[in-house]
Amino acid sequence: MRKLLPLLAAICLAAPPAAVLGEELELKETPGLEEAVKDGTLPPVTERVPTAPLVVRPTEPGTPGGTLRLLMASAKDTRMMVVYGYTRLVTYTPDYKVVPDIAQSVDVENDRIFTFHLRPGHKWSDGHPFTAEDFRYWFEDVASNKKLYTAGLPEQMMVDGKGPAFEVIDSETVRYTWAKPNPMFLPALAGPDPLYIYAPMHYMRQFNAKYTDEKTLDELVKQNHVRNWAAMHTKLFHPYHTDNPDLPVLDPWVLKTKPPAEQFVFERNPYFHRVDPAGRQLPYIDKVALVIADSKIIPAKTGAGETDLQARYLRFDNYTFLKDAEDHNDYTVRLWRTAPGAQLALYPNLNVTDAAWRRLNRDVRFRRALSLAIDRHEINQAIYYGLAVEGQNTVLTESPLYDPAYRTAWASYDPKQASRLLDEIGLTKRDASGIRLLPDGQPLEIVIENAGESTEQSDVLELIRDTWAEVGIHLFSKPSQLDIWRRRVYSGATMMSVDKGVEDGLVSADMPPDDFVPTTQAQVQWPMWGQYLETKGKSGEAVDIPDVQELQKLYKAWFAAKDSDERAEVWRKILKIHADDVFSIGLIAGVPQPVVVSNKLHNVPQEGIFNWVPGAFFGYYHMDTFWLTPDGSNQASTASPKG
Amino acid sequence: MFHYIMRRVLIMIPTLIVISAVIFTIIKLPPGDYLSSYIETLRQSHEAVDEQKIAFLRAQFHLDEPAWKQYLYWVSGFIRGDLGYSALYDLPVSQVVGDKLLLTFIVSFSTIVFTWIVAFPIGVYSATHQYSLSDYGLTLLGFLGLATPNFLLALVLLYFANVHFGISIGGLMDPQYLDKPWTIAKGVSVLKHLWIPVLVIGAAGTAGMIRRLRANLLDELQKQYFVTARAKGLSPFRALIKYPLRMSLNPFIADIGALLPHVISGAAVVSVVLSLPTTGPMLLDALRSQDMYLAGSFLMFMAALTVVGVFLSDLALAWLDPRIRLEGGVTR
Repeated sequence: MRKLLPLLAAICLAAPPAAVLGEELELKETPGLEEAVKDGTLPPVTERVPTAPLVVRPTEPGTPGGTLRLLMASAKDTRMMVVYGYTRLVTYTPDYKVVPDIAQSVDVENDRIFTFHLRPGHKWSDGHPFTAEDFRYWFEDVASNKKLYTAGLPEQMMVDGKGPAFEVIDSETVRYTWAKPNPMFLPALAGPDPLYIYAPMHYMRQFNAKYTDEKTLDELVKQNHVRNWAAMHTKLFHPYHTDNPDLPVLDPWVLKTKPPAEQFVFERNPYFHRVDPAGRQLPYIDKVALVIADSKIIPAKTGAGETDLQARYLRFDNYTFLKDAEDHNDYTVRLWRTAPGAQLALYPNLNVTDAAWRRLNRDVRFRRALSLAIDRHEINQAIYYGLAVEGQNTVLTESPLYDPAYRTAWASYDPKQASRLLDEIGLTKRDASGIRLLPDGQPLEIVIENAGESTEQSDVLELIRDTWAEVGIHLFSKPSQLDIWRRRVYSGATMMSVDKGVEDGLVSADMPPDDFVPTTQAQVQWPMWGQYLETKGKSGEAVDIPDVQELQKLYKAWFAAKDSDERAEVWRKILKIHADDVFSIGLIAGVPQPVVVSNKLHNVPQEGIFNWVPGAFFGYYHMDTFWLTPDGSNQASTASPKG
Repeated sequence: MFHYIMRRVLIMIPTLIVISAVIFTIIKLPPGDYLSSYIETLRQSHEAVDEQKIAFLRAQFHLDEPAWKQYLYWVSGFIRGDLGYSALYDLPVSQVVGDKLLLTFIVSFSTIVFTWIVAFPIGVYSATHQYSLSDYGLTLLGFLGLATPNFLLALVLLYFANVHFGISIGGLMDPQYLDKPWTIAKGVSVLKHLWIPVLVIGAAGTAGMIRRLRANLLDELQKQYFVTARAKGLSPFRALIKYPLRMSLNPFIADIGALLPHVISGAAVVSVVLSLPTTGPMLLDALRSQDMYLAGSFLMFMAALTVVGVFLSDLALAWLDPRIRLEGGVTR
């Protein structure tokens, strides 16, 4: 589910070139590369950095050098370096403004004509120039090539089924024109897993049938164990997945280790386009080493001091252990915020196939009763040390759309009222052990299925089991496998699931309400309705509950709204419907995320948000400005609060 | 003898064919395939599902074709020695497996040596000092090793090794030696990490071996020829080693057949817990994501090794024990 962010701020983005800052930027040679420059293998820094680099102001000016150690769980996690490096055509700042990054400036007209101005002198990580030719290659020879993109252009570039008109204005300017506004384009380019509209032509052309003869291609195909040249081209051009060390990139660190390996080393990109105000080329850190270890053992390894910066694979229940281990290690544990609307929420499946459960799940009194019979305070105290926020699955306090009524709706612990509601529905008969009976005589046994990936979910369900038993509901927890669980949800076999709440609880009015409306099959409370909309009516079921139909109307209204205020109105209506109808039973939100930072690492904010969207994990906080204390000096990083 | 060998070799072929069919069916049994689990993992982490990559993978692994065709693609590959391409690692299977084979071999070989070195003397001692205090004590120790859950023992040892000896947690060597060429320092680092998995996996194996050796030896020690040898004045130690011990070795030689695949696969659970870069965790991951080529080819490799290994151990047994040579194969 892609999260889309404000486009209003995207009108006419221009980054101030270095000269506007009032000083001439004096570039200093990068210490780690001085040798190579002397030897002549690398050009001097003045020729490596674009004529108008992006100046990034770090919290504390840094010293280049050092190796950063990170722990990851599988070779596929090398993509995290692309996420953390967060180098995109346009990027988000921590206050959700879209600014140009790789592009020097972007002109947006009516949300439908996008002109990108590149930085003159910008080069790929192997020294070749980065020009409009790379955009043309991608658009004409890759994305429009039926053999490579069998399904056509990526969906974020299609408006009403039509792609854009692409023009190369000059070697540093390209333009995309759509007939109608495309609000998805810039957010897609700036996302944590971005849309790539450029490719290194000088490298990829050797794998493209349009530019290379058949004989050479056949040789390469054999070497790469693929079926044909199209498969080879796709396999070797995975800039997000970083599995090809030969692929030129624009990210701050470039993969140097060929898979498979137990340790992946990334070295600095000598042609990176960002510099600090003192003229030092970023990133500060020379090398990043990713050590692959089993995900379950990563908290233990972190506690043994084997990493310099770790948050991935650390959970809140590891916090006490990590804090304790601070004493004999050189790190501190910080607690960052996470942004989902709820850490955990129960999702009654409105599309369950069993008729009796279907009737119950669709009855709003049933969902309200279930919600009232949960003691969220107990859960908060027992499992989260009282640090979480109790309430429903909705926007968080920091969001401009927040209203306390949304969070507290039907979220108090009131077993009497819950009982009354259940009696009202007609579930008055009970069996010998006090469990209510359905009209057909079945006991009211709810099976909550989940992906079985965290013990946290089982612990919370244990607590809920007790309080639900008091009102006559029996709870069974069924941990399963990720894709088996999801298949069961999609097919309607599951009656209720437990999962994370909405991915982004820090929405503002200008973000589309995708998570609150049936848009995709992946939403476990209404998978078939979501599938119906996702496939445009080809499969799934049409929505048949009036309130959800209202949500669909409001979704269309959001896109048609003329300004921010109208969009905010639509949002409030959507959130109110969710608060009243309790489509998902939120439990707790705002669970802190432990972030372990070595005392040698500077410029990592004391407080921040660790989330996929928004945040790109460490991406928003400019990992290229993190720096390590040089060996031999005993300067420890001071905890610097950063807004 | 020749006929026996020929017959055994010929029977191996249908055996392997049946095994390959069973492996394929079982891996394919869970609903969905590699792609569906890949897509759901992406959805769970809210990452975009790249339709183009999915279509590419689907074609690459023939997942859009009927099951029997997929089976034929797979079989025709590994008959020619081409183990296929792993979807999970995005690399040829031979590269994924080959990388881990050396370390797996080191761990398993050391474990087996450890088990034998520990179990043998204890078994002999237990048999010769039957019902003594030390017999009971040593057997108890062996059973403790068998009864304690491997992973629990592994975690406890991991903790102690880290806190008291400063050994890095998990893996087979310190991070700075990863992917570097072999040096004395790297070898020492491996040894420092090796003793935990060897101890844990070996502890479970010793109990079985001790009891079997003890039982066999006790049987032999009652027999006439041993009593005669002792009566004739042969020293107890010499008499023991030269006659009864040899007799009781049969089960160990027979076991060698089962050892080969064991050496290659490595104890999966302990390897996962200790995060060892061996083939056990690799196989587990491949099975969970239904990576047909990696899991299936690797299992076929192990099946072939088992079949060949059992055959070799049968030959070794026939060579060792004349009774089998002369009587076995004749009796129907």
